[in-house]
Amino acid sequence: MERPPKKNLSSQEWESLMEDFQRGSSGKREKWTSSLPPLSLLDLSLSSLLKKDFPLSLKLHLLVFLDDFADTLFISSPEDSDEVLSKLVIGVEAVIQSPVDGVSVSYALKEQMLVSVTSIFMTVTDFLRVRVRVRVSQLEALVAILLTIVNRPNHGMDRQTRAVTCECLRELEREYPCLLAEVVGHLWGLCQNERTHACQSYLLLLLEVIQHIVACKLNVNSVFSTGVPLVPFNIPQWVKIGGVDEDGDDEVYLKLHLEAELSGSNLKELKRVMAFLLEWPQVLTSCGMMEFMSVVMPLAVALELQPSLLKVQFFGLLYNYDPLLWHVVLMLYSQFPDTFGGQEGEIFRRLMLISKEGQQPLIFRLLVLHWLMGLVELVSKRDVEKRTLIAGMGSSFYPNVYDALALKSVKLDLLVLCSVLVDAAESCDGSSRVSALKYFEDGLVCVSAFKWLPPWSTETAVAFRTIHKFLIGASSHSDDVPSATKVVMASAIFHAIQASLSIRLLSHRFAKPAMEALSGNRNTVTRLRVASWNREPKLVPVVGSLIDRLLLCKMHCCLGENLLQIFDERLLPKVVMNYMLSSYFLIFDKIGKNVTVPPQRLLELLTKYAIFLVEKHGPNTGLKSWCQGTNVLAVCRTMLMHHHSSRLFMGLSRLFAFTSLYFPDVEVRDSARIYLRMLICIPGKKLRHILNLGDKVVGISPSPDTSSFFNVQSPRMSQELKKSRNISSYIHLERAIPLIVKQSWSLALPALGFDAEKYGYIEGTKDSEPQMSGKDSNFDNNIEIIPGIKRIEQPQEPLRVMDSKISEIVDILRMHFSCIPHYRHMSGLKINIPCTLRFQSEPFIRIWCSDPPGRSAEELKAVPTMYAIVLKFSSSAPYGSIPSYRIPFLHGEPFSGESLLPHGSMDIVPVGTPPILTLGSGSLVTIELEPREPVPGIVDVSIDANADNGQVIRGKLQGVAVGIEDMFLKAVRPTEIPEDELPEYYSHLFDALWEACGSSSNTGREMFSLKGGKGFAAIYGTQSVKLLEVPANFAIRVVEQYLADFVVSVIGTSLVEIVKDGGFIKEVTWIDVVSDSSDESKSITVSDGGPLCLTYFDNEDDKYRRANIGKTNMGCFLVLIFLPPRYHLLFRMEVSDVSTLVRIRTDHWPCLAYVDDLLEALFSL
Amino acid sequence: MKEAAMAAARRAEGRCSIRAIWVLNNLDVVLFSRRFPTVERRWRAACKAEKEQCAKDSDDSGVDFAVTSSIPTDSQLSESFSNRKKREGSVRGFGIRVADSVEGSDSWVDDPITRHIISLHISDEEGKGHLLWPLILHVKGPYFILVLPLVEPKHLGAYERLYKRSDCGTSVGVDPNISSLLLDLPSITGAFMVAHVIGDIITGDIVEPEIAVSASPVGGLFDSLTGSIGISGISARGKPAAPSVAASPTSTGSLAGSVISDAPKAGSGGLDRDALQTFICSSMPFGTPLDLSYPNISAIKMNGFSSSDMPHADVKQPAWKPYLYRGKQRILFTIYETINAAMYDRDEIPDSISLTGLVNCRAELEGLPDVSFPLTGLNKAHIEVLSFHPCVQVPEQGVDKQALMFLPPLGNFTLMRYTAFPTLGPPVKGFYQLSMVSENEGAFLFKLRLMDGYKAPLTMEFCTITMPFLRRRVVSFNGTPSIGTVSSTEHSIEWKIIASGRGITGKSIEATFPGTVKFARLQTQRSSVLGKGAIFDEDSDVEMDNSNNVANVEDYLEEKMMKDLPPVDLEEPFCWQAYDYAKVSFKIMGASVSGMSIDTKSVSSGDYILWNTLGKCPSAAVPKD
Repeated sequence: MERPPKKNLSSQEWESLMEDFQRGSSGKREKWTSSLPPLSLLDLSLSSLLKKDFPLSLKLHLLVFLDDFADTLFISSPEDSDEVLSKLVIGVEAVIQSPVDGVSVSYALKEQMLVSVTSIFMTVTDFLRVRVRVRVSQLEALVAILLTIVNRPNHGMDRQTRAVTCECLRELEREYPCLLAEVVGHLWGLCQNERTHACQSYLLLLLEVIQHIVACKLNVNSVFSTGVPLVPFNIPQWVKIGGVDEDGDDEVYLKLHLEAELSGSNLKELKRVMAFLLEWPQVLTSCGMMEFMSVVMPLAVALELQPSLLKVQFFGLLYNYDPLLWHVVLMLYSQFPDTFGGQEGEIFRRLMLISKEGQQPLIFRLLVLHWLMGLVELVSKRDVEKRTLIAGMGSSFYPNVYDALALKSVKLDLLVLCSVLVDAAESCDGSSRVSALKYFEDGLVCVSAFKWLPPWSTETAVAFRTIHKFLIGASSHSDDVPSATKVVMASAIFHAIQASLSIRLLSHRFAKPAMEALSGNRNTVTRLRVASWNREPKLVPVVGSLIDRLLLCKMHCCLGENLLQIFDERLLPKVVMNYMLSSYFLIFDKIGKNVTVPPQRLLELLTKYAIFLVEKHGPNTGLKSWCQGTNVLAVCRTMLMHHHSSRLFMGLSRLFAFTSLYFPDVEVRDSARIYLRMLICIPGKKLRHILNLGDKVVGISPSPDTSSFFNVQSPRMSQELKKSRNISSYIHLERAIPLIVKQSWSLALPALGFDAEKYGYIEGTKDSEPQMSGKDSNFDNNIEIIPGIKRIEQPQEPLRVMDSKISEIVDILRMHFSCIPHYRHMSGLKINIPCTLRFQSEPFIRIWCSDPPGRSAEELKAVPTMYAIVLKFSSSAPYGSIPSYRIPFLHGEPFSGESLLPHGSMDIVPVGTPPILTLGSGSLVTIELEPREPVPGIVDVSIDANADNGQVIRGKLQGVAVGIEDMFLKAVRPTEIPEDELPEYYSHLFDALWEACGSSSNTGREMFSLKGGKGFAAIYGTQSVKLLEVPANFAIRVVEQYLADFVVSVIGTSLVEIVKDGGFIKEVTWIDVVSDSSDESKSITVSDGGPLCLTYFDNEDDKYRRANIGKTNMGCFLVLIFLPPRYHLLFRMEVSDVSTLVRIRTDHWPCLAYVDDLLEALFSL
Repeated sequence: MKEAAMAAARRAEGRCSIRAIWVLNNLDVVLFSRRFPTVERRWRAACKAEKEQCAKDSDDSGVDFAVTSSIPTDSQLSESFSNRKKREGSVRGFGIRVADSVEGSDSWVDDPITRHIISLHISDEEGKGHLLWPLILHVKGPYFILVLPLVEPKHLGAYERLYKRSDCGTSVGVDPNISSLLLDLPSITGAFMVAHVIGDIITGDIVEPEIAVSASPVGGLFDSLTGSIGISGISARGKPAAPSVAASPTSTGSLAGSVISDAPKAGSGGLDRDALQTFICSSMPFGTPLDLSYPNISAIKMNGFSSSDMPHADVKQPAWKPYLYRGKQRILFTIYETINAAMYDRDEIPDSISLTGLVNCRAELEGLPDVSFPLTGLNKAHIEVLSFHPCVQVPEQGVDKQALMFLPPLGNFTLMRYTAFPTLGPPVKGFYQLSMVSENEGAFLFKLRLMDGYKAPLTMEFCTITMPFLRRRVVSFNGTPSIGTVSSTEHSIEWKIIASGRGITGKSIEATFPGTVKFARLQTQRSSVLGKGAIFDEDSDVEMDNSNNVANVEDYLEEKMMKDLPPVDLEEPFCWQAYDYAKVSFKIMGASVSGMSIDTKSVSSGDYILWNTLGKCPSAAVPKD
């Protein structure tokens, strides 16, 4: 299985190897790893690194790559990994020792080699440590190499390399704490000596080692001792690299060092080192500073250094402009908050000022403000009083006009914070409440464009985000008690927001600056401001979603409700009565839905509006009246559904009565009447549930916002939904004749799944393709006018030679097509699908008749009945409009068991139980389709009926599947053909169509006019073959049973004999010829070669074929099937002893897909 | 030693380490990626520890950290990146919670910073997937730079709770929030620094602060700059990409308004992977950034060190100054100020003028000398914010008289930055009025006074007024200014009051320009905001009877213009397209407007805008202290 490992890789191969790994497709990685075992890959890499002609940049890439993917490349077996480590040590030594020539070896290469090897080392040992104790010698060797490099302070050329090496050592020290603790004395010396820019790395290295010594409380002999030689390096005993020791004595060294306190002398020495380290922070880069401080801080704690020293030394960093340094100071504060006592204000102020620095990239200005907020939280956790420091700074957070919206938005958050704090302070000492409110008002000025910009503008989003923050104020979501929310509702800001939103909603016009006065004294264009442009209130949807946001929150839904109440109080009396009112319906609907808002005011308004609509109605407002009336009723419906009807009764009945009497639109009048009757006659509980049942009441658009909110809260509602959903489990509409093929798919053609108009377009294009030749693409749209004219104008182009045979064919086809109606101009050909409707009594009774408790057992046993059943059909398949079917009444099926089972035991509704057909219990239903295209599909069925007690049953039933065989029709019979000539006509028609559908047909360009002369059809034929391996007698039986109606000829003596006796196939053309006679062959093959192809019999293959098959050939059936609206399916079934070959031709190629399934199914029955 | 103790010792608290870096182009293809195995190992160890801790505390509230949640491959990353883009509407995302936001997405957190610190949902083979946060997203040119810093698993958990919260959003100061997270995570700050440097490297946008060598007001900025390079005594430095005029927050940026959006311009040219690779290897060999100065790192890479580069005799050489200067000694300073102004000329809205300034420095000094730099008169100068280069030993703040001590780095650097209120009045004042007299025709008037109260040696080098019409096409304009020349482009009219080369010194001038402008017929760009607009689209039957009310052209126009106004990014100050304004650009040499004074000075305009006095204008409240 294993391929021999590769000997060498070219640069290109290396590149593609790296790329494949980078991309991450596991397949390609596999390819490489299977041909390159870890060791050979490593060998190859190391040798490439040392090669002179290997490009330097590729070497660097290779090293980074090996580092990146070390865990996938080098980790296999422990033995291999051990080997990998050894090889790496040798490799790194070789690279380090090779002279720098700048071409094949550079300092950069050496540095990267050190980094990558160190990193790979750690990856591999990390893998090994969980398995076996690793031999430490390789690690010792690596560290020794690194230490050797480091041990040349101030050396000129390789200072950068030494810096990088320090980093490698630091990384190892981080991985194995106290690894270098024994040589810390040397490091101390080096660190003191080094004066080049590499000193940062030396400082950090020393610091790291010191930190580990302190953290592990490791008592080394002396921090300054250089007693242990630097090289050769021995891993100290306290560093545990291996896994669990076999004898489990990994506690040995723990006793020695851990848990002990640092000795006094050690502590003293360490403090001295610290003092030295703290002398040099100014040589660090800002990144270095961050690294430095993150180590120094815990050290300072452990060594009990004075944090104030750190503060004095580092606090000034806050005044630099480097974001990293700011964060260093903040870290310092978080670590030693006590030290900064009293200086919080200064930090706050500085952060606030930084956020004003225009030169900083936006992100840092945002970050700074976030830190400020985080810091305030941190500070107030320790001392709540200090929060007031920030409260006083409120006005500094006023956004600038050119601040980015993101910045404005965060500054507004801070204003919210300030206002909350100010508010809290005021409620304590009772001083004036102006300032908190002022923050709100002033803050929003910077996004005040939300008042007139489109509702989707970013300004609006920011403004409403802030409004939301001000609204919820200080009420936390983590509180269990909503008391904070109560406080919020009492606050001045809340009232201000209420007022402001009401005004916003009312403002139809802009808040125009008072500029008329200004323009007066300037000599320019002065304009008169005439009646303000009448606009819709744009903010309705935005306010709506704000309310939704609140309503959906457990803590704050009362705020949302309160807002709605306020709108009810303030908005409703003030809205202007005009058509614009409809833009408020979103809010009205929410008000109507909310039980906490008394409905009277809304009802009054709606009544006024209805009156307005009636008064304004004129010749041009028909549609508008209908739409607005419907909207009004929709809100009424929402109210009906959510309020007690007693609360609504007076107002609503008046409104309904008025509407049903005077409203100009008949549909609205009707609906209002229905509602009125419902309101009067049906008790509230039931009424609500009826309204909820049908999602769509006729003529009433569903409420714009169907609230899942309500449904979730009411368990009854979900039950009701279930009630209607389950209809299909006990009311069944089934096909009388089951389908042969259960079509589970349908071929998606461009003509599928769209409305009739579009569909017509495609058809039209097909029709007219030959004529149009790109001239008139509107043809299909103007189809009624143009074709007639065109027919006269345009000669039957192009001119072509027609022999007598073809002209005969064309004549027959013309006659045939002229009998086919075109569905677009007259009623098309229809197909009927007989079905049976029935329903099961038990579940029906249980669901629809169970609630009145007083029913006697007898009543319960009586077979239930549905009345006034209307079945409505629809389909996504192109079946035209399907007329609905009405049944006056229908009895349920008699009970299956002897007695009615107790209610409880019937809980499980038998879904999909086989129909128990009992005479008289079902009703025949015919679905009449007018297919636009012969495709299978599903007809969706919905039922509308009344139950015994007048309840409305409404819902969807299982769809009825329509198969391709439903599309099979006999070809239309032309009136001029007498009955007795029909078989002959059909036979000719078959031949003609067979010919026309042939691949090389000459009729392809011929247009055949359809009935009435308004539409045209052309024939584009396709052929196919299907071999059915069934015995002859079986094949014949199937044809007789299923296809008898469509057979037009039977050819072949032996076949004719069998079939004639059967009596299934009648009135066809019988051709008593020997099955393999020339006649028969000719009729088969004529199309293949064209009419003049006389050389046919010389064809070698055919002779062979006839020789073989001819013997058993019994003859053939010719089957002509018409597929509405105007297509054909032709079978030529050549029956022989053991198999039947079906040659299929059609002028509607998509049907082949279904036909194949059909034949398959027919002959396997 | 116990594993736990070792883990504690290894803890990454407060450190900045990077787990991975990706650079993607605008087709979401990963162009460059780098992972740091040592950091990744730390992350896995932390996850393991956290898991054990959770198990010990039998604490289920902790988020399930798949220990296997490794760094995604390039293709996984690119896939989830583009998925996020689809879900969040744009590369950066909505930023704040909008109608389209869903629970479990960044915008659900409802903070604009989630446009910069994003999360990605990485789906793995088992289909479970895991959250990757915090990813620093930096958009530069056609590139998206993603940097994944190391945080602790508990931080990830905290964020996951934020972005899956079921309530209506953080209430400021009380709920758990992203602010405390950010304060706790210096690694995020570090990652932003890394991302910015990488962005500059891949777009070749490394610009050193400018220094004008010659104080002569005649020489253009470019001349002086190239001149200074010519004289440069620092031969050891490898000069990176040619500097361009850096003072360009002024020019295209704000004028283009929302044109600057998330979508970067189509990528041109490849990315210099080698340069990037080299930089990353040197600046953060193990994923921990040590030095992010590209000039320093590339100089070391290019020149190395020779034996003649002797270390200083007794002082340590700073890590940020790898080379010492040798040659003629001198020290140069230049002040650059930028004025931002919103001029309303209205009684109810006060004008707002502010300026930002830079003191750039170039110290060609041998050895490692400390330079003392006295600052006086700070109180008088209305300085609001003052920040210094990291090499400066920062004195106590708020004292009127200070002496800065600094050890200058090599090359040009910005010694200090400040924000101030100008002591002189606005260099350009007056008003701009535009009024639409019909649907496609407007009349406008400018009345300006330049350099009012500005004495010599202040010289205005040029001054141009631009009237941008971002949403209308200019067909023609009429009118003659009292001074200067006028030209028009498709979407703007430009009035050059003072052409460059004809600067005015020490006198004030008046300029008026009445005129009319004709626009092409307004075409509604419905398609541009279809996605957004559709949500709010009102019923078609609510439309109003236009015929009755056309009396007021402007309102009608406004209605028409607003209808298809696309929302701007959160990085813009407001929707520029919704307003009429004239933008002033100028350059003043010879002194600073703040009163700051050292050597060479120059002032130029930032967002210096005259708002149409007759139209709407954005404004902000001004604190009245």
